[in-house]
Amino acid sequence: MWGRVANWWTEWEQELLGVLKTPGLADQAPAGWRRAMACKAAKLSHIERQEVYRISVTYRGWALVRLLAKLCLVFSVFGALVKMAFLPKLSMLGAVVAANGVGLGVLTALVGIWFNHEKYSLRGGKLLANTILLGMLGGLFGSVVAMIFRGGSWARLLESAPRVLMLSGFGVLVLVVLPGFVLATVRNRHYALLALKLEQDAEQARLARELSETQLRLLRAQIEPHFLFNTLGAVQQLAEQGAPRAAELTAHLIDFLRASMSDMRCEQVSLATEFGLVESYLAVMQIRMGERLRFRIDLPTSLAATRIPSMLVLTLAENAIKHGIEPSLRGGEITVTAQEDANHIRIAVHDSGVGMSDTPGNGTGLENVRSRLRLAYGESASLALSEAEPGLLAELLIPRKDAQ
Amino acid sequence: MTVTILVAEDEPLMRERLLGMLALAWPDAQVIAAVDNGLDAWDAYLEHAPRVVFLDIRMPGLSGLEVAERIGRQAHVVFVTAYDQYAVDAFDAGAVDYLLKPIQPGRLDKALARLREKLDSQPMDVSAVVRQVKAASPAPAREKLKWLKASVGKQIRLIDVEEVLFFQADTKYTRVVLEGAEALVRIPLKDLLGGLDADRFWQIHRGTVVKVTAIRAAERIDAERMQVLLRGSSEVLPVSRSFTHLFRE
Repeated sequence: MWGRVANWWTEWEQELLGVLKTPGLADQAPAGWRRAMACKAAKLSHIERQEVYRISVTYRGWALVRLLAKLCLVFSVFGALVKMAFLPKLSMLGAVVAANGVGLGVLTALVGIWFNHEKYSLRGGKLLANTILLGMLGGLFGSVVAMIFRGGSWARLLESAPRVLMLSGFGVLVLVVLPGFVLATVRNRHYALLALKLEQDAEQARLARELSETQLRLLRAQIEPHFLFNTLGAVQQLAEQGAPRAAELTAHLIDFLRASMSDMRCEQVSLATEFGLVESYLAVMQIRMGERLRFRIDLPTSLAATRIPSMLVLTLAENAIKHGIEPSLRGGEITVTAQEDANHIRIAVHDSGVGMSDTPGNGTGLENVRSRLRLAYGESASLALSEAEPGLLAELLIPRKDAQ
Repeated sequence: MTVTILVAEDEPLMRERLLGMLALAWPDAQVIAAVDNGLDAWDAYLEHAPRVVFLDIRMPGLSGLEVAERIGRQAHVVFVTAYDQYAVDAFDAGAVDYLLKPIQPGRLDKALARLREKLDSQPMDVSAVVRQVKAASPAPAREKLKWLKASVGKQIRLIDVEEVLFFQADTKYTRVVLEGAEALVRIPLKDLLGGLDADRFWQIHRGTVVKVTAIRAAERIDAERMQVLLRGSSEVLPVSRSFTHLFRE
């Protein structure tokens, strides 16, 4: 018999714990009150479920019995002390039973408040009135029971009714409502903090994920096979011709590869480094494209040490080549410049190529630039594309550190 | 008969490389033109009708794929690419000839050996494979031309491309003929080609592009020559031999 009860208890406990961990399991509970309990547990918020789970795991099995026994002991001692100190007329048994009853009742009420803190703060007035009214009714009911068992008259009952009502109402107020109010307030704040923290954690995780995705895309996107094979082909051709430019092109390629490989691993680089990378890239492209490409790079020395997210300007320069100069029959010129004013650093990449209308596949590279700007500066940096006659102007606007 | 070759490659060093290697590996063939963009490639093709065409895939003006589509089965096409994995897979599957850049001598010899075997038969039709590659490529089709700016006296007139019956090359300009009107546009016809939808505007001559819906009939003049009669215009347009296949039943 005992074994079956114990088994049943363990099974139910497991079922509830399961639901607390994964709310989806609620449907699998056997129909009836167990299903109802499971559904109730599943409806709790994420934070609440975690708390209930923690409490349930700590106080499962005999731990719960021990806890209850300890509480009853405390209530009993308290009841006995109250009797001896203030109510010598009361019987010892009565005092102990009453103390346990009141104590467990208050405890249940507080646990209820703990998990319904929102209701308590939202509809506090109504709940307060209900609780006190319920307490008063309880007091009245107690007096009626006492009258029936101990003998007494309706007249005496009526006579003592106001006192009973006052006392029980006051008792409920002091024992349940006020602590409940404090508890709910504390709990509300605690809950809000927890919720905020969870939200922040989620946001942080999202940002971290976005960052690593961008970096991964960076690694993948940069040295394109097209770029590498075509450049190697050009090197090979120049070398076979015995042209001194073979060595020059190789040197630019080496600069570009070395800089981009080390930059890819840094989140931020100095503008001097980034512009150096862009210059070696454009120098390689210039030798490859010949007359079809001219370029100019201008970085004021005052901005050389300014740090910006790596590979951004390079991505814009690559876009200018890919969507501006390469599709253009006559080729064109690329200018890369940086300027500063009181609040911003403005980096501009202009190409005199085919312009906006002929730039279909510009999505991923620019999306990448925008998401990295967002990660580094929030909403205070921007990338703007505009039609320039001729060609396309890409402008990066980055807040100055000392102006922030 | 000497085999004639057209080479289209936008990067000068790569073009030189291919030309140099061809001269070594196939000395008795004759390179009749080497160009750096798709529009010039198409134009040179129309002018010289070469037997073999080497086409870089990525070129300004028209891509190598677009040029190949226009050429149809009139010449043996060999694509050249540095890295277009999807295209290469499709070429392998469709037995289309291609070369990978940077071109290595051994690879070129193999490709030329294969090509020489095929020279006497009719060139294969690469358009099915080309369409497949174009459909799968991430870059959407070039934006099509909607309006033309034409000067008529002191006025600049805007012409809706849909209203044009046909375009005719006129040295550096293009004559644009509409129903009951015509104008001169300051763009050579070959530069306009990239902006015209090749399904709706047929090139019927090196210097003539006609709107398909404006064609009333095509008629045979003799065994080789054809001409096109129009709706909305009494002009008769000659069809050059490279394009008579458009009207074959």
